[in-house]
Amino acid sequence: MNVGQYTPYIIGFTGLFMIAAAIAVTRLKDLVYSSIALSFVGILNAAIIGLLGFPVIAAFVITVYVGAAVMFIILSVSMLRPTETETREEFRGSFVATLFGLGIAASAVAVDLVKTYHKPGPHPLSAVSSILLSKYLVVLGVLFVALAATLVEAISIARRGEER
Amino acid sequence: MNVDLMTSETAYGIAFIVAAIGAYGIATSRNLIRTLLSIEVLFNGIFLAIVTYLSQIAVLDTLASVIIVSVVSGEVIVIVAVIVSFYRIAKTLDSSSMEEEGV
Repeated sequence: MNVGQYTPYIIGFTGLFMIAAAIAVTRLKDLVYSSIALSFVGILNAAIIGLLGFPVIAAFVITVYVGAAVMFIILSVSMLRPTETETREEFRGSFVATLFGLGIAASAVAVDLVKTYHKPGPHPLSAVSSILLSKYLVVLGVLFVALAATLVEAISIARRGEER
Repeated sequence: MNVDLMTSETAYGIAFIVAAIGAYGIATSRNLIRTLLSIEVLFNGIFLAIVTYLSQIAVLDTLASVIIVSVVSGEVIVIVAVIVSFYRIAKTLDSSSMEEEGV
């Protein structure tokens, strides 16, 4: 049995759950449950990325994005527990979502047209990747240090509010 | 790694629907945390589209994705800190109060 031929269907099925979780993020009244739904969106996104053939990226999304960033949101929202009622503007949301959908459809058609009429030549793309990981390794190191600095920045901002 | 056309089209469809839901959430709610959560939904949709696109042209796929996820995770932490700080000062999460304050 060739499992690969069922991959689009498995991705589609996983995608349905992801769409349901995304709707839950925007519709659930309790922000804590919305945050938990966001973690499901991240996990299902990682599952689809894994099914597309990128297990490393999927593992990275799970550990860094869901494991750190989304968990940070869930903990922060749980500690804040805002009780105020939320004002919603359904018409504005529907209008923007429709415009967004039309924009994306137009972009997809444009990209398809570009692909049809523009045939790019062969590029040593794997060479670019290896150059980035060898020559620009210091830059990547600086990037990760900068990200660590954002943590300090976040703590500093939060403590400033506490001092006031 | 190249994925076949049907798989990539399915992934693109899901990505764009999720991104549109995120855009809907951003425009609908005036609550800062809900807006942040909707931005993250939008990010998940766009990120899936980017990974699918990179899988077709095989340009720095893993490296670019790792950088994108790292930057977004850092950004989320800072935004949550700003929202917590704002909530402590204003005692509300409604973004209209920010407009009134001229923030």
